Amino acid sequence: MYRSAARRILPAVCRRTGHFRSKASPVRFSAPIIHPAAFSAAAASENARNHKPNNFEASKISSSSNEGRKPRVTDRPKAHWQEEQARVLQASLRHVVRPFLPNLQFYYSKNDLLIGWDRLLNFIGQISLGWSDAAMIAGAREVGVSPSIVGSFPRKEAALVEFFMDDCLQRLIDIIDLKEDLTNLIPSNRVAKLVRIRLEMQAPYISKWPQALSIQAQPSNIATSFKQRAMLVDEIWHAAGDESTDIDWYVKRTVLGGIYSTTEIYMLTDTSPDFRDTWAFLDERVREAFDLKKTVQEQTWTHYLASYPERKQQYFAIYLHTTPVRHPLGLEVLRNRKPLNTNNRVSACHHRSVKKYHSSDWLQNITNLLEDAQDMQIFQAKYLAEAVGAGMGGSVQGFVNNLFKG
Amino acid sequence: MALRSIYRGLKKNNLLSPLCNSCSHLHSHSTSFGYKEVREEEKSQMVGNVFTSVASSYDLMNDLMSGGLHRLWKERLVSKLNPFPGMKHLDVAGGTGDVAFRILESINNVGRRAMRDIHDDNVLDETQIFVCDINPNMLNVGKKRAQERGFGDDKSLVWVEGDAEALKFEDDSMDGYTIAFGIRNVTHIEKALAEAHRVLKRGGRFLCLELSHVELPIFKDLYDYYSFSVIPALGELVAGDRESYQYLVESVRRFPSQEKFAKMIAEAGFDKVEYENLVGGVVAIHSGLKF
Repeated sequence: MYRSAARRILPAVCRRTGHFRSKASPVRFSAPIIHPAAFSAAAASENARNHKPNNFEASKISSSSNEGRKPRVTDRPKAHWQEEQARVLQASLRHVVRPFLPNLQFYYSKNDLLIGWDRLLNFIGQISLGWSDAAMIAGAREVGVSPSIVGSFPRKEAALVEFFMDDCLQRLIDIIDLKEDLTNLIPSNRVAKLVRIRLEMQAPYISKWPQALSIQAQPSNIATSFKQRAMLVDEIWHAAGDESTDIDWYVKRTVLGGIYSTTEIYMLTDTSPDFRDTWAFLDERVREAFDLKKTVQEQTWTHYLASYPERKQQYFAIYLHTTPVRHPLGLEVLRNRKPLNTNNRVSACHHRSVKKYHSSDWLQNITNLLEDAQDMQIFQAKYLAEAVGAGMGGSVQGFVNNLFKG
Repeated sequence: MALRSIYRGLKKNNLLSPLCNSCSHLHSHSTSFGYKEVREEEKSQMVGNVFTSVASSYDLMNDLMSGGLHRLWKERLVSKLNPFPGMKHLDVAGGTGDVAFRILESINNVGRRAMRDIHDDNVLDETQIFVCDINPNMLNVGKKRAQERGFGDDKSLVWVEGDAEALKFEDDSMDGYTIAFGIRNVTHIEKALAEAHRVLKRGGRFLCLELSHVELPIFKDLYDYYSFSVIPALGELVAGDRESYQYLVESVRRFPSQEKFAKMIAEAGFDKVEYENLVGGVVAIHSGLKF
């Protein structure tokens, strides 16, 4: 299970770092090598117990190659035992929520009196096997394999939960590939729809999902579950058409991870028909997040400018007039700012690049300012250049002296 | 001691070995008995003699030599096995029954009973744990201990006398196969592994707990000193039998390393062969799956 998750990570990482989307970028690695770098936490936890998974199937060593942007577990030649394990897990999933007859004999004493009444009631509440090795044993029997295979899964119940998460991710990828109408929606609706599709896959297991969440939260399992959620979030953003390559990439995924988790937990206690309340909750959260994103961008730039003396506030004014405003809320934020006195310099929020504008070389300062303005992709640098060239507040030299005096 | 006279006889044979071996090579091969080379037919007899003499103090000596750790190792083995009700399990070379008792206790655990299906309980009666050993003395000690623990009347425990290289069980009949500290005493390890593969069902697990090689630099020297100086002396003091424990220590050194043994298990036809080192390599649990 762990290895199949590792195989899925690689294309996601490639997508992030290299944009190998349309090209076929074959990556070969053989089974014993566990993917390094970002996800070595899981490898470290595996090795911490002095446990060496050495696969000595001489003729059965599976080497895999990932091509292009559509990773599929089934494309890779899997070792026979891995397929069998997957079959057992697939069958076990059916037993997770299947109700079964409890053995009431356990609750009756020899005199046929009912003992342990509270235990019985408690028991009736958990009348299905849940994410436990009992479910896996039942699954193994169904497939026709000896139930002792359950002992070969390194973290038994966690293996079942992780298999389910992988399975849902694979189904989501399949749905994304099939559905073309996603491009008709605006990004926020796209994201909301994808999260909804994914959460609906969990709906049949919702009665036992708290148990699955608690299994995922255990220290030995948390690395893998975090990785799986990261892949899921990455997949959703990629399907929603995310093209960012800078810090935005992390911000987006963190925000969506938060939305997904809170909606998942909301769903646990939602009793409305077809989880209507959950979807309403989800839509609210997504809308808020998209609004927040723009406000954060505006705020960051205003913090940049806030560290300059008043003269530079005039760039600010230029920005207001020349750059098309994209969001009414953002405009409010800008317009409501009070103009500053020259003496009352706003203490800079210590942005690391503020120092770039305070060297003794004025030309270097302006160059740095222009470069950063271009990076921010908000401020149209040419407007700044024109403003400087127009000689605001006197000759160019006087202007520059004023600039770096305050 | 009978053992000492056998050794003297062997030494005489070795002096004449160039002459003898040329004709006897056609019929038998030599194998290792500790650091000595002996003829194959004699190895099983000599091993038998070793265990006949140590049977009565076997458990006590285990406790002394490992400082009680052997219990933890066996518990780790059983938890790896993950026994379930209705299991058919074979414990080979499990003479005194340590592993078998633990498996039985794990299956009958009260905590598990609550979550059982009706189907499970009917199946509980089908649980069978076979304890197989080549040495009847060890089996007798095991039966006595079973009585003491209250398993005397348990129909799930079956004591069988048999050879690991030629098991009398049917093909595809066992869910689990364990061999704890026994495989190094077997003359042909590959045969024992092949038999294990034959007897297991699809999805059955093979688990082997064995003393193995230590590679950590300083710990290795400490371990060697402990093995060659302390253990035979203990054997002499407690069991009155230095030679047997000398054999034990030497046989551990002659046993293949973890990696090599894992390859042998894979060659026998097992999938997903893994090993776990306990106490830095003093003990290793090898596991394999049959499909």
